[in-house]
Amino acid sequence: MVTATRFNAPSPLQWVSVITAVFLLLPTCYIIYVALTATPASWSRLWSTRIPELLWNTLSLATSVALITFILGLSLAWIMVRYDFPGRRIWEWALVFPLAMPTYVLAYVYAHLFGMGGPAEQWWQALMGPEARLVSPQSFTGVTMVMALDTFPFVYLLARSALLNLNVSFEEVARACGMSPWITLRRITLPLIRPAIAAGLALVILYVISDFGAVSLLRYQTLTYAVYQQMTGRYDQTAAGILSLLLVVMAIVFLVTERWFRRRSRFYQTSGRYRTSTRHRGGALKTALIMTYVVLIFGAAFGIPAAMLIYWSVAAISQGALDARFFGFVWNSSFLSALAAGGAVLIGLPLAYLASRRPSRLNIACLQAAYAGYALPGPVAALAVLVLFTHFAPVLYGSIVVLLVAYVLHFLPVGLQSMEPALQQVTPNVEEVARTLGCTTRRMLRRVTLPLIQNGFIAAWVLMFLQIMKELPATLLLRPVGFDTLAIRVWLEASEEYYQLAAPSALLIVLLSLPALMLLVSKDWRGRHQEVVT
Amino acid sequence: MASSPRAILALTLVLGTLALWYVITTPAIAADKLIVYSGRAERLIKPVLDEFQSKSGIQIELLSSGTTELVNRLKAEGDHTPADVFLTNDAGSLEHARELKLLRPMNMREVERAIPPQFRAPDNSWIGLSGRFWIVVYNTKLVKPDQITSLLDLAQPQWKDKLAIPNSGSEYLQAGVSVIKATFGDERTKQFLQGLKTNAGTQVYQKSSQIVEAVAKGQVAVGLVNHYYIYRHLAAQPSAPIAALMTDQQEGGMGAIMNVAGIGVTRASKHVESAKLLIEFLVAQAGQKLFADLDKEYPLHPDVKADPALIDRHSFRAALVPLARLAELREPTLTLIEQVGLR
Repeated sequence: MVTATRFNAPSPLQWVSVITAVFLLLPTCYIIYVALTATPASWSRLWSTRIPELLWNTLSLATSVALITFILGLSLAWIMVRYDFPGRRIWEWALVFPLAMPTYVLAYVYAHLFGMGGPAEQWWQALMGPEARLVSPQSFTGVTMVMALDTFPFVYLLARSALLNLNVSFEEVARACGMSPWITLRRITLPLIRPAIAAGLALVILYVISDFGAVSLLRYQTLTYAVYQQMTGRYDQTAAGILSLLLVVMAIVFLVTERWFRRRSRFYQTSGRYRTSTRHRGGALKTALIMTYVVLIFGAAFGIPAAMLIYWSVAAISQGALDARFFGFVWNSSFLSALAAGGAVLIGLPLAYLASRRPSRLNIACLQAAYAGYALPGPVAALAVLVLFTHFAPVLYGSIVVLLVAYVLHFLPVGLQSMEPALQQVTPNVEEVARTLGCTTRRMLRRVTLPLIQNGFIAAWVLMFLQIMKELPATLLLRPVGFDTLAIRVWLEASEEYYQLAAPSALLIVLLSLPALMLLVSKDWRGRHQEVVT
Repeated sequence: MASSPRAILALTLVLGTLALWYVITTPAIAADKLIVYSGRAERLIKPVLDEFQSKSGIQIELLSSGTTELVNRLKAEGDHTPADVFLTNDAGSLEHARELKLLRPMNMREVERAIPPQFRAPDNSWIGLSGRFWIVVYNTKLVKPDQITSLLDLAQPQWKDKLAIPNSGSEYLQAGVSVIKATFGDERTKQFLQGLKTNAGTQVYQKSSQIVEAVAKGQVAVGLVNHYYIYRHLAAQPSAPIAALMTDQQEGGMGAIMNVAGIGVTRASKHVESAKLLIEFLVAQAGQKLFADLDKEYPLHPDVKADPALIDRHSFRAALVPLARLAELREPTLTLIEQVGLR
């Protein structure tokens, strides 16, 4: 009876969720407001000078990176699921490591290695004569390669799990009907894993259009980079607002397209018969080829840059880089990321809970509002938070509160993506059973609900922690005095081309990210409670 | 594992309390500290501040960032700013901060004795500390110095794809273009910018050090930078094939484009006495030498000699546009830059 009355009147939880949603929407509204109140003159000036180039640069980069990550991610997932070779289990893990390497770190390592007069060019010139030139990393090709090497694990991870869950009987039927392996792949397998690939590519594309660090180090002009430049180079922030609005619109278009893709291609298991594929063990030549391919990709995306960072760090440390100041940066980074991730989990909880338990229109709208942060790249989130704080709570401006708000706003969607399914998987039946067996609400939450959702929540926390630790533009713009993070140190040193000095901080970001990443992708850990649920 | 969500909750609460404590106690800690917002590269200012700290016992907290970004920040923070001192590399930005009433007029005898009046605000709300010139860096293997007599030459088609420039957010570029605009008028400035844009192509850099590097490696033949980047590069790599070129020195010409690095005390500062001590330290002969030499700049104190590696200050003329005018010229200059579509 108690529950019945609760359904009618808006519960305190509902109020909390509505208020949170309003706050989460404020920055986006503010950006739209700034852009729409800009004079037609500033719109037309930007439109005739900067916008076409920026749109073209951003879109072409996103497209080319998506294409390469598609090829890399899918081929690697295919190899890992369908073939067996020595060390496969290790490589299966290792291919996710690039996610621990921030794009700006990869960018600065490659800017050094392949830049003018860098080691790669010297070697190339020794081989091909003094006039030989390599493709500059500060070019479209260079940025594309760096971004693709850093983001292909998104596609790899999702494609791999889709392939693992794929029922092979479909393929077997196709083969039995006389289709060639190639046609089977194109007509049967790919369409079946299309939603996973679309989701992976959407992650890649959102990542590319919101990246700031790599494009600024490689001097490639995208919208996000331009927003940052407008914000830091001018007193009038209208132009930043206009460019931000374009970014927001672009991100929303991508998100909507991806959702549409997913909805259009939903497949159902029709019978209970389900088998996963067996792994082939190819001949010596095939195995060698596969291993070379895997090692090459891993080496380029993680091995070489990590080795470079270690090499530089050793040099920097021997010059005394590990002083008290450095450990201060480490503390700042970990403290801030942990706090913001924790805060985001707490803030996201009522939103996700209400939307999955009482999916009224209002509750779902509140959840959607939280996803608005997805469309706000770092500098844009920073711009909005900065202005809102200075208008409404200037006392807090310049404290870490401002940073925390920007982080929660920007990264909450990432966390919600694992909190939401975790809550959805708990069927109300389980809770009802607990109730009928005489559990009190509190006991039910502790014994049934929490254990079921905890993994999803830990995953959310870890994901946000990882991303916040790497975050750059918002931290650059909003950090309090004397509060540098590891990411800031990397950027400050690397943009002045003090590669060695940047290395210890960069290496530490990678090292701190790795265990979290491993925890996240270990399938056993994630699947432990799944049997209870289904 | 069973209690993990609660562990996260507990951790968050603990950290949250810590954060709150941090926020509450920050002003208290700041009581015996001087907070410096600096638009100057960290490694070019920290040694000077460290020296001051060890001499005076006043602790300094440094926030390094972009110049315009810091002015925006000061403006946003208003009376709540924690900053006591704003130190940066562009007189235009300092003057702009003064116009926004972010800086405090200062009455200091030492300053008036040390720094000539053309290098400070009339009410001393900002004080120049060192001089810097916007000049051409060229690769000695690719370019003969007599090929360029004026900055405007860089817009000529012969430099297509051979020129490196800073991006349009750079305060040096904005100040430089402002001086050209004040000297030659809008039309010629626009042509100049158009030429720069065409000639530079994608060679548009965030940092001047990168421009010098590109010229040294022969990636481009010429670049537009502040003079000290050249000497800084040469100090690290004495054999680099680069040299500085002082332009616009012909009779009746514009003269070299000068800017200053300077300092001001914020209006909201609660540590004016400590801030005064810092300024006295910086304008005194020893401080001037230290500050200017660190970045191979020209000291503004008439009795302090510049680094001997630099072109002798008496051998060239500077443009006649007063530094304080850079602020009012900036917005129209930015409009020009945007009309041309410079990155």
